[in-house]
Amino acid sequence: MDTLFGITGKDFVITAYDSKAVASITLMKIGEDKSRELNPHTLMLFSGEPGDGVHFSEYIERNIKLYGIRNGFELSPRAVSSFARRELADSLRSRKPYSVNLLIAGYDVKTNKPALYWLDHLASLADVPFAAHGYGAYYCLSLLDRYHREDISEEEGIKLMQKCIAELRSRMILNMPDFVAKIVNKDGIRLVQL
Amino acid sequence: MEYNGGAVVAMVGKNCVAIACDKRLGVQAMTISTEFKKTFQVTPKTYIGLPGLATDVQTLAEKFRFKVNMYKLKEEREIEPRTLAHLVSSTLYERRFGPWFVEPVVAGLDKENRPFICSTDLIGCINFAKDFVVSGTTSNQLYGMCESLWEPDLEPEELFETISQSLMNAVDRDCLSGWGAEVTVITPDKVITRTLRSRQD
Amino acid sequence: MDTLVSKYANSSSAASFDNEEHIGDSLTGWDAANQFAIPAFDIPMVGNPVDFLRAHTDASAENRIRIQHGTTTLAFKFQGGIVVAVDSRASGGSYIASQTVKKVIEINPYLLGTMAGGAADCQYWERELGRRCRLYELRNKERISVAAASKILSNMVYDYKGMGLSMGTMITGWDKTGPQLFYVDSDGTRMRGERFSVGSGSTFAYGVLDSGYDYNLSIPDALELGRRAIYHATHRDAYSGGSVNVFHVKQTGWEFKGNFDVGELHWEYQAQPKGPIV
Repeated sequence: MDTLFGITGKDFVITAYDSKAVASITLMKIGEDKSRELNPHTLMLFSGEPGDGVHFSEYIERNIKLYGIRNGFELSPRAVSSFARRELADSLRSRKPYSVNLLIAGYDVKTNKPALYWLDHLASLADVPFAAHGYGAYYCLSLLDRYHREDISEEEGIKLMQKCIAELRSRMILNMPDFVAKIVNKDGIRLVQL
Repeated sequence: MEYNGGAVVAMVGKNCVAIACDKRLGVQAMTISTEFKKTFQVTPKTYIGLPGLATDVQTLAEKFRFKVNMYKLKEEREIEPRTLAHLVSSTLYERRFGPWFVEPVVAGLDKENRPFICSTDLIGCINFAKDFVVSGTTSNQLYGMCESLWEPDLEPEELFETISQSLMNAVDRDCLSGWGAEVTVITPDKVITRTLRSRQD
Repeated sequence: MDTLVSKYANSSSAASFDNEEHIGDSLTGWDAANQFAIPAFDIPMVGNPVDFLRAHTDASAENRIRIQHGTTTLAFKFQGGIVVAVDSRASGGSYIASQTVKKVIEINPYLLGTMAGGAADCQYWERELGRRCRLYELRNKERISVAAASKILSNMVYDYKGMGLSMGTMITGWDKTGPQLFYVDSDGTRMRGERFSVGSGSTFAYGVLDSGYDYNLSIPDALELGRRAIYHATHRDAYSGGSVNVFHVKQTGWEFKGNFDVGELHWEYQAQPKGPIV
């Protein structure tokens, strides 16, 4: 199962996902994009049932973008996560539910605060300072409890993310290839080298 | 119920009621958040507690907010706690064959400031009580605590102490609940909400 | 002995000495270790005892026999010996049966065993191991090595493989070869190692342990790392909690380093700065 991470800092959120695409026991590709930019300041990471993640996140992405075009302003991360949660919750009790775990990382340009939302495949939403999905969570949540502070800088955030990935590389039986990290802050979303 | 964990309890006092919940959100053994609230204000003097499957807790909180707002618009008055209990009950029974996995608790003061509490099961069977109601994964332990600590005609501060001690000591015997608690005491002239510091394991 | 016998020959107790030689005979021929070599257990009078046990311990069984399961335990070697730290919660299902369980079993002054899985299984077999280690000492006039002790445990439980035993334990101690740490479980796995954590909260403990570990840690720092790793595991894992028990294994034997209630420890850690992210 794939692993997603998100850590908030003083004025940013750093996210990371493993770029592995797997089909049953075969590694199909390294360098798969498991994130979608919902609007200039909101990023969604997904994992779970192959196919569902891309379809669901793109469906949300298009709706959020449409909202921006129609209204001339963007939804806040809080509003985006609430919309995504409700869509997922409604799908849960449909004939063919999406099976995706999500992290929604954003920067609220009105309050100037970073935001991170954890959303599981049952559509339970939690507002958290840091989060992880997949087996990686079992190793890294305690590590993040240990070292995370609310006011960490971007450099510290990157270091913390590297620490998490180093832990996975040394403890998880699954081979962990390259992780892709992205930072969301007031200037938008950008890729960072870990 | 056991998937995310959680506990809610409500008690009647002298011209007041109290409702309390724990704050854990877990995925089976793993704790995800310790800021996940399960009680929601419905009217100035009515609260609803929703322990159970977290996704349904959130969906139903939204649903009830919508229904109560619609009621207010149509009736041009606040919903009474007893009426809310029946609204909750029929909303749950609507999903008789594919239920919402929550066991709600309603607590409030009616228009004459008489205390009202009740709980329902996951398909809407209402249980009216004159003393206390409990719900969630910690219900067994809560029954034990409430049976021994509760007494009639408690003043608001005494009621706060009683419900807090009942909840905190009950969740200390449950793996899946705890990690902090929130207590709300509703009196005719004010609503007091306090966050409790409790064991974090 | 003869003088003793003659002295008491006409006393009432003499009767028991009359057949002293006889007793002597049986004493020389009697070997306690041999007689009790294999503990014997009553097996339920059913066709398949394994299925019988499973039917009564399974989560779905009505009137289920609940076996203690949730746990976090850890042990690691470092420059100053070995640190052993454990939580103290016993749970049956989601019910907390106890917050004050002793999960470090003091086999003898030089050997410690930790407890994860079935509480009764761990207690019984590590007690049995203690008895055998004592017999070894009496026979050979020297203490048993940790390697040998852990092998005895491993062999004992391997005999019952597939019958429902459940234990994951770490055997630590200090012998002629220095500090030793072994992991032994009811599957029959036995391995030497530097750093282990066992139980439902083990992954959380590993997260903190791995990131803070260094072989050259000072003794206070190593004890603190063990305590901290268990604390973080109790915070995230629902089935671990209560208090942290910390032990230090030294050349002179093990030493108990304290019991820390997690309820208070959490706020203590919250109040102090978290330190740099190295």
